[in-house]
Amino acid sequence: MSYLEYNVKTVPSGIRKVLYLNWPLAVLLVSVAGIGFLMLYSVAGGSFSPWAEPQIKRFVLGLSVMLVVAMVPIWFWRNVSAVAYGVSLVLLVLVEFVGTVGMGAQRWIDLGFMRLQPSELTKITMVMLLAAYYDWLPLKRTSRPLWVIVPVLIVLVPVLLVLRQPDLGTAILLLTAGGLMMFLAGVHWAYFGAVLAMGAGLVTAVFQSRGTDWQLLKDYQYRRIDTFLDPASDPLGAGYHITQSKIALGSGGWTGRGFMQGTQSRLNFLPEKHTDFIFTTLAEEFGFVGAFSLLMLYALIILFCITSALVNRDRFSSLLILGIALTFFLFFAVNMSMVMGLAPVVGVPLPLVSYGGSAMLVLMVGFGLVQSAHIHRPR
Amino acid sequence: MIRTPLRPLARILEARSKGENPDAIERENIRIRHEQMRDRARQRAEGRLLILGIFFLVGFMAVGVRMGTLATSDPAEPRAQAPGARITAQRADIVDRRGRILATNMDTHALYAQPPQMIEPERAARELVKIFPDLEAEDLIEDFTGKRKFLWIKKKISPEQKQAVHDIGEPGLLFGPREMRLYPNGRIASHILGGASFGREGVHSAEVIGVAGVEKAQDDDLRDPSRTGPLQLSIDLTVQAAAEQVLYGGMKLMNAKGASVVLMDVHTGEIVAMASLPDFDPNDRPVPLTTGDQGDSPLFNRAVQGVYELGSVFKIFTAAQAIELGLVNENTVINTSTPLKISGFTISEFQNKNYGDLSVADVIVKSSNRGTGRLALMIGGERQRAFLDSLGLLEPTPLEMVEAPTGTPLLPKRWSDLSTTTISYGHGLSSSPVHLAAAYATIVNGGTRVRPTLMKRDTPQNGPRVISERTSAAARKMLRDVVGSDHGTASFGEVAGYHVGGKTGTADKPKTRGGGYYEDKVIATFASVFPAHDPKYVLILTLDEPVETSGPKPRRTAGWTAVPVAGEMITRIAPLLGLRPEIEPGQQAGVVLTAN
Repeated sequence: MSYLEYNVKTVPSGIRKVLYLNWPLAVLLVSVAGIGFLMLYSVAGGSFSPWAEPQIKRFVLGLSVMLVVAMVPIWFWRNVSAVAYGVSLVLLVLVEFVGTVGMGAQRWIDLGFMRLQPSELTKITMVMLLAAYYDWLPLKRTSRPLWVIVPVLIVLVPVLLVLRQPDLGTAILLLTAGGLMMFLAGVHWAYFGAVLAMGAGLVTAVFQSRGTDWQLLKDYQYRRIDTFLDPASDPLGAGYHITQSKIALGSGGWTGRGFMQGTQSRLNFLPEKHTDFIFTTLAEEFGFVGAFSLLMLYALIILFCITSALVNRDRFSSLLILGIALTFFLFFAVNMSMVMGLAPVVGVPLPLVSYGGSAMLVLMVGFGLVQSAHIHRPR
Repeated sequence: MIRTPLRPLARILEARSKGENPDAIERENIRIRHEQMRDRARQRAEGRLLILGIFFLVGFMAVGVRMGTLATSDPAEPRAQAPGARITAQRADIVDRRGRILATNMDTHALYAQPPQMIEPERAARELVKIFPDLEAEDLIEDFTGKRKFLWIKKKISPEQKQAVHDIGEPGLLFGPREMRLYPNGRIASHILGGASFGREGVHSAEVIGVAGVEKAQDDDLRDPSRTGPLQLSIDLTVQAAAEQVLYGGMKLMNAKGASVVLMDVHTGEIVAMASLPDFDPNDRPVPLTTGDQGDSPLFNRAVQGVYELGSVFKIFTAAQAIELGLVNENTVINTSTPLKISGFTISEFQNKNYGDLSVADVIVKSSNRGTGRLALMIGGERQRAFLDSLGLLEPTPLEMVEAPTGTPLLPKRWSDLSTTTISYGHGLSSSPVHLAAAYATIVNGGTRVRPTLMKRDTPQNGPRVISERTSAAARKMLRDVVGSDHGTASFGEVAGYHVGGKTGTADKPKTRGGGYYEDKVIATFASVFPAHDPKYVLILTLDEPVETSGPKPRRTAGWTAVPVAGEMITRIAPLLGLRPEIEPGQQAGVVLTAN
């Protein structure tokens, strides 16, 4: 039961809903995807195959999915959020057994027409369930320990399942998004303070004990952490992508080498050039101007989401919008940081730009929910 | 928390009295209350949202700033680093006094195998044996198919071998870059340089460490990464090569089993050439002998490590000291005809000759044991010991080689009168040729102490004065007479155009077991200086067990063995040293003996 009640009668109905879409947001999404098509066309050496064409098809599909989701009233989505979460958990378990191994990790379920990545789906369903939970939970109980444990479980179960695949990047994303959702919902400061302090304490203990008799990890594990944190120490191994993409960014300079003129990515220095590291191609060909423009487009998307959440008086809607904006932000922030060597390399795609079906489709569903919340907001 | 009642009775009663519906008031109250709660929730949510906004902003700024810094950075290809601690492998070159390379480094490769990565271990083993015939196919197959994860196959391989191994196409055979020490001159100066081998070894590099000679003594300096330029020795490669060649020929001609030579600058103490035979190739050092006398090993450096009783070459020290002390002058007549008995031992002359009365100069020229012994008794043991010490004959040489400290002189246990007498003519005290070279340099250079060195130095040492200029001049004249006069013991050492001075020494070799001396085994030494009137160089040449057989009886004295070899050597090296002959050299009749 939503705390903020609103009158359903004021919500637009029928085809008129299209007029009430958050059009600026839709335009921004299309333009970001357009940049993605350009880049995929470029890395393929000026060809629509093998990447740009399927990507366009998928985006058109994603756009229609977004519209369909947007047309469905937001309270329907609120009511099915628990079911959706349950389904995604089942899929996560299922992927353990029937999943396809790719890049050394079990991630996909082959549905025939597309390969579904349950971990991507979980990002949305987890946010939905958390929003619905805090919508349902009386405000007074938000910070009671028992009522804090429930959302913690909602977050931790998929995180652990994803870690088993293993997909560290997605797990960290899920954990961060879940934690921030709880923070937004108003859970007391002390919980976050305690978790942060414990985390910091654990990390300090692990590193401080290194080299002593009672060290917590084995030596090779420390070395892996070292390489993970500082890939530059191993430029031909773990740090290969990072050094190459840094070269690409550096050679792009302020204005770039020009469309289709990038060398680093087109000369196959980067094996993941069309997926996680596509940002390097952009930065090399369009330089700082191009890369910063993309960053600004992302920033505008986030800004429109926040505005939409602020004007929405429904708690579920605003939490959901913020949650999806958060997930989106984490996606591109982690990807860009990783490409530019600010963060360790974890497999996170650049949203809407990187080649890949599941991630884009799931994000479009997410923005469909944002649109639905926007259309069906209480007035 | 004080709860405000939902139904404030007063207002309800008031409303009732006015006839209004009290429920409206209750609804109003609930509405206000809900609005208050909503506002609080809203406020909190907005506060949290603000923090999230800051989080977003920081994220955006971090990414944006990073973008800017990377865009302005110069793209630089990173250098591959070997994981783990880097081993510094750069070792300084060693060059001679004119900058010619004596030791340098060469890039090569080590071959190792990682059997787990091997595809066809047996074929790889068989192919390897074709390239390296010294390997055993069975052993390799056993290693490659066993549990071993890593093994070295060859420490150093040539580029051709590397290509051949590469062509096997076996991914489990790998190469590690190596820097190896190369001695491009082969055997020349082998004892001085010593040699080097690998120390700590890793896959990506290996330490090169010195194992002998200058390489080991100067190891830290050569490996010091902050060092610039090569290590310059005092050796002159040209002179060294000529000296070694003549020495080898002389050793063969005189049927000696070993030989050594030391050529030293009398003013600077620099060793310009030093050799010991038999020698070795430092690129492929032989293993030390496990049985027998280490002195017979090619690794043994006779010039530095070989401490011998050098015999009559010591007589000049006694004569010089006697003159320096004013006890005699070079013309003082010494009686050498009457027997000299000390502590029951009779000192006799070579072949029991009787020279009658001799001047001090003639004692040296004829090499009279009795004459020298009498001079020594005049000096006394205490002063003799102090004098020999001031010449550096009683302590190890400070030469920059690891072998130098092992060439410690052997001293008599008790410095008795008998010792004093025998030491005066070079018995009872053992020292190395390098010791002798330094002592001769001190005697003839004007009388200042010289310490031997292998490092290039251009300035005279100007050490503490040992004898006076006058005594030094007298000693030079006596040494010159030994070679120059017709009745001297070293007349074969005369080299036309170069005034050679010197003193011979023939010492019986002590028996390795039991006491006493061999009758037919000698160490023949010729200590020479040239040019004698203004000496620039001292040359010490020793032959181990030489026999000269051109006469009716085998001759072993230094005058017949070491002296002609030294004469030939001076003929060869003096021009190389930049010394000009003082007269037009005639036919080199005197050198035919050694050059045939």
